[in-house]
Amino acid sequence: AAAEVTTAAPDVDDTDNVNEEEEYAAWKLRELHRIKRDRSEAEEREAAKDDIERRRTMTDAEIMAEKAKDGTLSKGSRDHNGEKPKHR
Amino acid sequence: MANRTSNDVKNIHGTNPQFLLEKIIRTRIYDSLYWKESCFALTAETLIDKAVALPCIGGQYGNQKPTEFLCLALKMLQLQPEKDILRLYIQNEDYKYLRALGAFYLRLTGSSVEIYQYLEPLLLDYRKLRRRNISGEFELTYMDEFVDELLRSDRVCDTILPRITKRHILEESGELEPRVSPLEEDLEEEEILDGQSSSGDDNVKEEN
Repeated sequence: AAAEVTTAAPDVDDTDNVNEEEEYAAWKLRELHRIKRDRSEAEEREAAKDDIERRRTMTDAEIMAEKAKDGTLSKGSRDHNGEKPKHR
Repeated sequence: MANRTSNDVKNIHGTNPQFLLEKIIRTRIYDSLYWKESCFALTAETLIDKAVALPCIGGQYGNQKPTEFLCLALKMLQLQPEKDILRLYIQNEDYKYLRALGAFYLRLTGSSVEIYQYLEPLLLDYRKLRRRNISGEFELTYMDEFVDELLRSDRVCDTILPRITKRHILEESGELEPRVSPLEEDLEEEEILDGQSSSGDDNVKEEN
């Protein structure tokens, strides 16, 4: 079976400029997707940076309050049930 | 010279360049028919003919056989062609598989800045490429997609690519100018046009 695989003739046509307009349009779409993806990544980075800046100016209590609101407050801290975390 | 690295090559990423392909794949390449028949005694010049004649890109297929593409990539790692020659491989307009091979090799061996510098222009190349997938079938892909993959993925053609510094970090440190796609202008024009047409609508409403 392996030998068959090696000798299989390429059955996909890779000839260019058959329909140049269509090929260009398809590329344009791909390139626009990439631009959009890169932009949204940059926006995410900016947002994360701004968030870090904002947190830096907050007090611990404020951060705790915000985390509690988001539901991202980590469990297992001592003040929850009076026990120390098992692993240190 | 068979399977040895040629004596005058420089280490890349602190190691023998051949080690950039994993050992298991290297062994499979050394054992492959194409390697033994066609890659023996190739030089940076004669390798071009082989690269031009490549039927497809790809990693391993079928019974974990390496593609000719990978064989030639390993050969290039052995030979370490000069930067100028590599640039010719990548910048040539006529032979897309030679270009793809050069791009792959540069991604393996180049510095981050070099990689962006020489590969990003290829994002404008929308020629078709055949890719052989793991089951041995051929698929259609495009040069720009392949290059985009090289710039962003960790693994291309069954090969772990060396780490590349993210583009935005190089931009922040001033080593790279932001990339401007030729389409970006179109995009901005469209946005401006959109803005104008919507403000035009407002005027109409106000008049009514």
